[in-house]
Amino acid sequence: MIINFDNSATTFPKPENVRYTALQAIEKFGGNAGRGGHRLSMLTSEAVYSARESVAEFFGAEPENTVFTLNCTYALNMAVQGIMQNGGHMIISSLEHNSVSRPAYRLAEQRKIVLSVAEISDSDEQTLQNFRSLIRSDTKAVVCTLASNVTGQITPFKEIAKMCSERNICFIADGSQACGVIEVKMSDGINILCTSGHKGLYGITGTGILVSDGKYRIPPIIQGGTGSGSADLHQPDVMPESLESGTLNTAGIMTVKAGIDFVKSIGIDRIFAHEDRICRTFISQISKSSEITVYRSPKAKYVPIVSFNVRGMNPERVSDILSEHGYCLRAGFHCSALAHRSLKTLQGTVRFSPSVFSRESDAYSLGLLVRNMTIQEKT
Amino acid sequence: MPSYTYAIKGAKLLNARGYPCEIKRTEKATGGCGYSIHINSSCSDALSLLDRYKIPYRLITDGGET
Repeated sequence: MIINFDNSATTFPKPENVRYTALQAIEKFGGNAGRGGHRLSMLTSEAVYSARESVAEFFGAEPENTVFTLNCTYALNMAVQGIMQNGGHMIISSLEHNSVSRPAYRLAEQRKIVLSVAEISDSDEQTLQNFRSLIRSDTKAVVCTLASNVTGQITPFKEIAKMCSERNICFIADGSQACGVIEVKMSDGINILCTSGHKGLYGITGTGILVSDGKYRIPPIIQGGTGSGSADLHQPDVMPESLESGTLNTAGIMTVKAGIDFVKSIGIDRIFAHEDRICRTFISQISKSSEITVYRSPKAKYVPIVSFNVRGMNPERVSDILSEHGYCLRAGFHCSALAHRSLKTLQGTVRFSPSVFSRESDAYSLGLLVRNMTIQEKT
Repeated sequence: MPSYTYAIKGAKLLNARGYPCEIKRTEKATGGCGYSIHINSSCSDALSLLDRYKIPYRLITDGGET
């Protein structure tokens, strides 16, 4: 028995139409997209373009500003390192994933940029003030997750975007934990949106997305074959190809389209309501024990993620015990060093994250198991 | 066209607006590999449509690039 509550890492199971599309992609779309004029290549290119259109429409962007990457980490690196290529000041939030904080700290250590970290409070007004107070005349970019991958806290990203727009600062958003469970549009004021294709959008692993509103040019950090202008030794300057060097993950890209179709068929609001109800069921169970800390504030809003700890137990130990009972939950630091410094969770946390396929009864049973675990550890 | 993405975006637009066309590899590309939209009829109206939708292109006639 496997009951997956680690859907923040990647959703599993995948919808039936996604599994079918993956098979079709391998069986029929075997050309290299944008790399030839023959029938197989053109057929594959059209499938990729169709996916590009779907993603663009989903986020309110243009297809040519929609870039497929290997994962959200690649997209964020392209955005951060591309936009900051010529230096300047950058602000990131205290809840950023290592995909943002590591390239940002490296650039800062190399003295290529000046970096500031804005603390995310459980009060949106305080969070905005924290960002506002760090803005300088040379601030070039602000990077903020839409929702923390550790606690699920939703940041006031629309207000941060507005703040950036008024000052001509590029706003880069990490939508990995938000896209597919809350409505995200470029019209929210996002200049560059980076997200996974395999989490809330239900594509397969190996898929990421970078969507631009076209306002800021993103110099490529990776160069190579793009299928166009191939006699030129310089990387083409036209998106999306300028940021898509190398053969695309055709099968993955096609599953992202199928995943978006699936999400749209159910509706983002319904998906959120279902997963949020499951989180509340789980929290209601574990909150009955004074030995369990849940990292949520009544003042903040959350996507369906719950981080918790059992007093006196290492998170990895908790995860191991749950795994023995068939429950899959991720423990540790969730690749978010900054977030754990901010939360003061020095051994990390255990993270519970349902998907649209999760069942409330499983969350209830898991909650009971976690509570019993605290009793057994005491005896 | 500067990229396959623009080629297919342009071709879809033109076909939808009544300008039958197809995408082919460019034979006279100056920079190497590329894709073209082939329009058999008079293309001035089609070009206006591409301009209106900000789809970049280079015009190639039988006589070469212009």
